[in-house]
Amino acid sequence: MSSPDRRAMLRLVPSTAEDHCPSQWFCGHCGAPPPNNETPAPPARVCGECGLGLLLEARADAVPRPSDPFLIVDGSLSVCALSAEAERLLAVAETDVINRPVTELVTPADAEAAGPESLAAAIMWAARGEDEPRRVMVRPANVFGVRMPLRVGACGPPRAALLVLE
Amino acid sequence: MRYLKTSEAAALLNVSPNTLRAWERRFGFPRPQRSPGRHRLYTHGEIAALRDALLDGLSISSAVSRAREGLGADTNALVGALNAFDAGRADAALEGALALRSLDRAVQEVLLTALDEVARRHGTDSVQWAFAARWGNSWLRRAQRLVTPSVRAITVVLGDASRDDLDIDAAYIRALELLLARSGASVLGLSVRGVSNMSEALAAHRPDAVVIAGGALADDAVARWAYAVRLATGALPVAVYRRGSQRQRVRTTGAGLLPSTPGEAARHLMELASHSVSNPTTSRTTPPRLLADGA
Repeated sequence: MSSPDRRAMLRLVPSTAEDHCPSQWFCGHCGAPPPNNETPAPPARVCGECGLGLLLEARADAVPRPSDPFLIVDGSLSVCALSAEAERLLAVAETDVINRPVTELVTPADAEAAGPESLAAAIMWAARGEDEPRRVMVRPANVFGVRMPLRVGACGPPRAALLVLE
Repeated sequence: MRYLKTSEAAALLNVSPNTLRAWERRFGFPRPQRSPGRHRLYTHGEIAALRDALLDGLSISSAVSRAREGLGADTNALVGALNAFDAGRADAALEGALALRSLDRAVQEVLLTALDEVARRHGTDSVQWAFAARWGNSWLRRAQRLVTPSVRAITVVLGDASRDDLDIDAAYIRALELLLARSGASVLGLSVRGVSNMSEALAAHRPDAVVIAGGALADDAVARWAYAVRLATGALPVAVYRRGSQRQRVRTTGAGLLPSTPGEAARHLMELASHSVSNPTTSRTTPPRLLADGA
């Protein structure tokens, strides 16, 4: 019979299951949530508020506020949507930049862009469904001396990266 | 061709009619035609393409872009058939375009765009252009024969000043004739090379307006023809239809310059002719000002 002090120690280990993080829907153009935060039916994702964006889902801590400038970028780093605030901030029209490379709008602020935290890597991770938001420093393309923190998270459907200029 | 009213199109897309009109302003798509009562009429093909694109889309802009690409596939198919000298496949490509668009839009957005593309890629001295131009002109003539005879008492005389079927403007002139006929006009197309016995032709048709289309022939030849028409009919509203660089060298006295797209040109010409019919005394001396591109 073994003594209690020689018994194998059982320790509580962290769970391998993903932490539950609530998700939220928002308009890809004006950032407004759907009425009563309800999940929209797949064929009815057009924003009832502005009528110019589709409703997308993202982690609640990554969702932009209506006043935030943000972009939606797909896995090939092409711009898929631009919020009204981002149009104002970057002085471009959404219709002119759709399907253009995101680097035509924002580029990494070099000193901060080294390693796996680079802009392209962050977007690729997010577009693949990695929904832990990452932060990188960027500047508007062709503008020097300006640095802006950018939060990169996942959104969809379909899967894409949500870039919020903070 | 199936058309949808604004409320029907909006219901199919699960949006309000106001949203649909906002998309038309912002994205230029879907682009409706107008009914005789000026109500919007959407083609079912455009709305269906947009609905499918919205299901998988991340934004309205990207869905519109994808829907447009899908519709642009008809032009690519036609260009491919013309480059392969395959008239049967070219006919089929245009039939496919007609399933999604009205004939007017299929002619302007697919047929003429495809011909322009062949000319741009290979040049107008190439065998590809020779084949494409011949096929395009032949298709437009066939389509004109199928137009329901005119019910409006408007007759337009069209003086064709293009060089021949290989002239890059020839298909545009055929398209203008076709769209005028579809607008309800009776069109008498004449080459400006033929001048003698003009009164015999015009006595049979009694035109309400004259249009001189194309710019390949010498100004003297065109002037002789216009003079013969004037001698035969008296003063009539005269319009000039030219495209590209030829628009820069139009020197006319009292003749209006029509927009370069055949649809717009046909619409302006019908207005001009209608004005002539309703005001026979004033219009023959002071034709209303025509709007050229960008005016």
